[in-house]
Amino acid sequence: MAKRKLKYRIKRRLKKKREPKLIEIYERRFIEALREIRIPLLMLHTALTVGTLGYMILSGGDFINSFYMTVITIGTIGYGEVVAGSETLYGRIFTSFLSLMGIGIFTTSVTVIVRIFFKEDIIKLYKAIKMLREIENLEGHYIICGYDKTSAWLAQSLKKRKIPFVVVEARQSALKYIQEHRIKYFILEEPHRRSTLLSAGIKKARGMVVNLGDDATNIAVIVTARLMRPSKEDFYIFSFASTDGTAEKMEELGANKALVPNKLLATRLAAYILHTSSAFISDLFDRIAFGEESDIDILEIKVTPGSPLVGKRLRDIDLRKTLKVTVIAIRKEDGTLNVTVTGETPIEEGDTLIVFGEPKNLTRAQRILLENPDKVVV
Amino acid sequence: MRYKKIITDFFILMSLTTNISFIVSPNPYELVITVAANLAATILKIGEGRVLSTEMLASSLVADLHLIPALFIFFLGDTVEAVGLAQGALAANIISVIISIIETVLSAFTEEEE
Repeated sequence: MAKRKLKYRIKRRLKKKREPKLIEIYERRFIEALREIRIPLLMLHTALTVGTLGYMILSGGDFINSFYMTVITIGTIGYGEVVAGSETLYGRIFTSFLSLMGIGIFTTSVTVIVRIFFKEDIIKLYKAIKMLREIENLEGHYIICGYDKTSAWLAQSLKKRKIPFVVVEARQSALKYIQEHRIKYFILEEPHRRSTLLSAGIKKARGMVVNLGDDATNIAVIVTARLMRPSKEDFYIFSFASTDGTAEKMEELGANKALVPNKLLATRLAAYILHTSSAFISDLFDRIAFGEESDIDILEIKVTPGSPLVGKRLRDIDLRKTLKVTVIAIRKEDGTLNVTVTGETPIEEGDTLIVFGEPKNLTRAQRILLENPDKVVV
Repeated sequence: MRYKKIITDFFILMSLTTNISFIVSPNPYELVITVAANLAATILKIGEGRVLSTEMLASSLVADLHLIPALFIFFLGDTVEAVGLAQGALAANIISVIISIIETVLSAFTEEEE
C-alpha cells in the first residue's frame, strides 16, 4: 500500500515537472487575456439585472418592456418612459439612479470589452495558436533556426521546391521581415529551448538549419536538437560556423555538416577565377548543384541491400532507354567515386547511383528504382 | 478564505435553487433572477483554464441557452413551454453543482498534499 502511494506521488511529481508545450503556454496566455473581460461583463450584467428587476417591480412584472427600458436608459438612447410605472415619482427616482450608475458602467464596459478584443495581443496569440496547430500536422519538414538574409534566401529556395519548413526566431524585430517574405510557419521563441523545438515539430522533421549568427548559440541549439533526435541518418542538422575549428566541433557535437560561409563563398569565387575560360561549364554545374537550373538536375539513388539491381551491369538496366536518365557516376560504400562508368560497370550492394536528367524523369526514376526496381531489369 | 470561489458557488447554487422554485411555482421574478444568476455564473467561469472549469462553463452555457428562450417564451404567454425549458436548464444546473463539488474536493486534496 505504502509502495503504491509512493509510486503515485512520484508519478504526480514527474507529471508536474513536465515542460509544458508551447501551444499550452500560448493557450493559457490566451485564456488569461480573455479573463480580463469578466469584470466589465459582470458590471454590465449587474446594471442590466438591477434595472430590469426594478422596472419589473414598478410595472408589476412586465419583463420585456422593463428590459427594453433599462437598455435605452443605460445605453443613453432615452426614447422616453416606455414601461408602466416609470412615469410615477418612484419610477423617476429609480430611473435617475439607474442612469447615474448605468451610463458610466455601460460606456466603460463596452470600451473595455472592445479594447480587449481588438488588443493586438489577443489576435497575435490566436494566430500563433492556429499556426502551432498546423505545424503539429507537418511531417518531413525542415526547421530553420534564425532568420537573416541567408535564411531568407534559403526559405525562398525551399518554397520554390515545395519543401515545408518552420522558421524559429527569437528576435521580435525579425517578425516584420518574416511577414514581408510571407513565411507560412514561424515561431517567435528561443530556439535552444526543448519546448520550442518540440513545437516546431522536431520529432517528425527531416532536418534543421541552424543559423543564429553566434557559434555558442548555434552549438546550444545543435546539442539540444541532437539529444532529441539522436540519429544523424534520420535527422540532418546543418549549421553555420565562424571558423573551421568551430565547424569541426559542431560536427562532433551532432551537426551533419557545419559550413563556414566566408570560406564557402571564397571557394566558389576561386572556382570562377580558375575556370574563367570555361565559365559556362563551372556555372552550369553550380546551378545544377544549387537547384538554379530548372531543366536539368542531379540525384543520388542508393541501391538498397537485396535489390534486384545488385549484380547487374549498367547495360542490363539501360536507364537511358527505360527511364530517360543517365548514370554519370557511382559512389561506392567506402566513399570513393567512380566517374568512368560504362555499360559494363557492375552495380554492387551499398552503391549510390548518381543520375543526371530532367527533373520529372529523375523523380520517376527514383520512385521506380526504390519501389519497383524489377521494372528496369532486363 | 477564497472570495472568488464563494461568489462563483453562490451564483451556481442560486441559479439551481431559483430554477427549482420557478419550476415548482412559475413566477416572473424568479425566472429573471434565475437567468441573471446563471449568466453571472457563466461570466465568472470565463477565462478559467482548468479542465473541470471548462466543463462547468459548458454546462452553464447550456443552462443559459435554455433559460433565455424560456424567459421570452414565458413573457409571451406560454408558461408550460417555459417550465419545460427551465427543467432542461435544471439538468445542466445539477451537473454544474456536481462538477463544482468535485473541483472543491480535488482542490482540498491538493491543498492537503502541499
